[in-house]
Amino acid sequence: MSFRKIDVDAYDEDVLHESELYEPDPRDSAQVLSDTKQQQAAVRNSLNKGDITGALNIALDSPPYGLGVEEAKNLALQTVVSVLNSTKATDIPNVLRSLAQNEQDTLMKYIYKGMGMPGWGDVSGSVLLGWHEKLTEVAGTGCIVRVMTDRRIV
Amino acid sequence: MSNVLRPYLSAVRSTLTAALTLESFSSQVVERHNKPEVEARGSKEVLLNPLTISRNENERVLIEPSVNSIRMSIKIKQADEIERILCHKFTRFMMQRAESFVVLRRKPVPGYDISFLITNVHSETMLKHKVVDFIIQFMEEVDREISEMKLSLNARARTVAESYLTAFTS
Repeated sequence: MSFRKIDVDAYDEDVLHESELYEPDPRDSAQVLSDTKQQQAAVRNSLNKGDITGALNIALDSPPYGLGVEEAKNLALQTVVSVLNSTKATDIPNVLRSLAQNEQDTLMKYIYKGMGMPGWGDVSGSVLLGWHEKLTEVAGTGCIVRVMTDRRIV
Repeated sequence: MSNVLRPYLSAVRSTLTAALTLESFSSQVVERHNKPEVEARGSKEVLLNPLTISRNENERVLIEPSVNSIRMSIKIKQADEIERILCHKFTRFMMQRAESFVVLRRKPVPGYDISFLITNVHSETMLKHKVVDFIIQFMEEVDREISEMKLSLNARARTVAESYLTAFTS
């Protein structure tokens, strides 16, 4: 291999690594997975009672992020999507207004993640687009900027 | 604007508005260079998370923001073979004249049909909401344009076939 093609900047001593961009999750991957499973069960309970706001609160609490927790991430996305799919369109603005700002940001992350993988599970484009529109009305474009800049990808 | 397309376009519009916060940023690697970081991919800290907006598998938009440039790629709806050919010809025609469109990229990102590259120079010399309007209008028009071309192509083919086959009726 030609020496000119070697990326010498990668060997610099103060080069930035992926892991330095954000604080890693203090929980280990097995704990994250079991937490996510508990959340999913709790969310199902709330949904059966018809408590959408409560279900969304649980689903958006301490989402899995970082490397090596793919299974937990998929499970969490499934949980959030199941809540989104079972909400009536007329209830959406009231549910969104009752969320705290960091929960709104996390919800926006999940909406974009869901739209990034169309046809996966029961992800449906039109439902997510409806939620996206309402959430932008409530939380503004700042919410989208926070999703773009937050390195803790869900 | 048709009612089914509206949520999709409004999502693209708000995401694009959010992403278009650009500033001049010199290269961290080469002195006195200033290149769009989303293309150079010199370091991770200046690239932001890419966002996808999709209606379904065949119709989606990818927005890749960075500190001084954003790249936006569109996958245009292609239902059948004719639409695929028309879309290819149409986007190729535009991309060959990319400099007249200022923000158009000469090559699409793999997996997409057409890409735009907006740098801080563009956002400084042009009005931000006009750039966003231009792209949204483009997305509206391109679908209509392709379906119109398909209709006129079919009509033309029918006329040609009829006038050709009249030679055999006697």
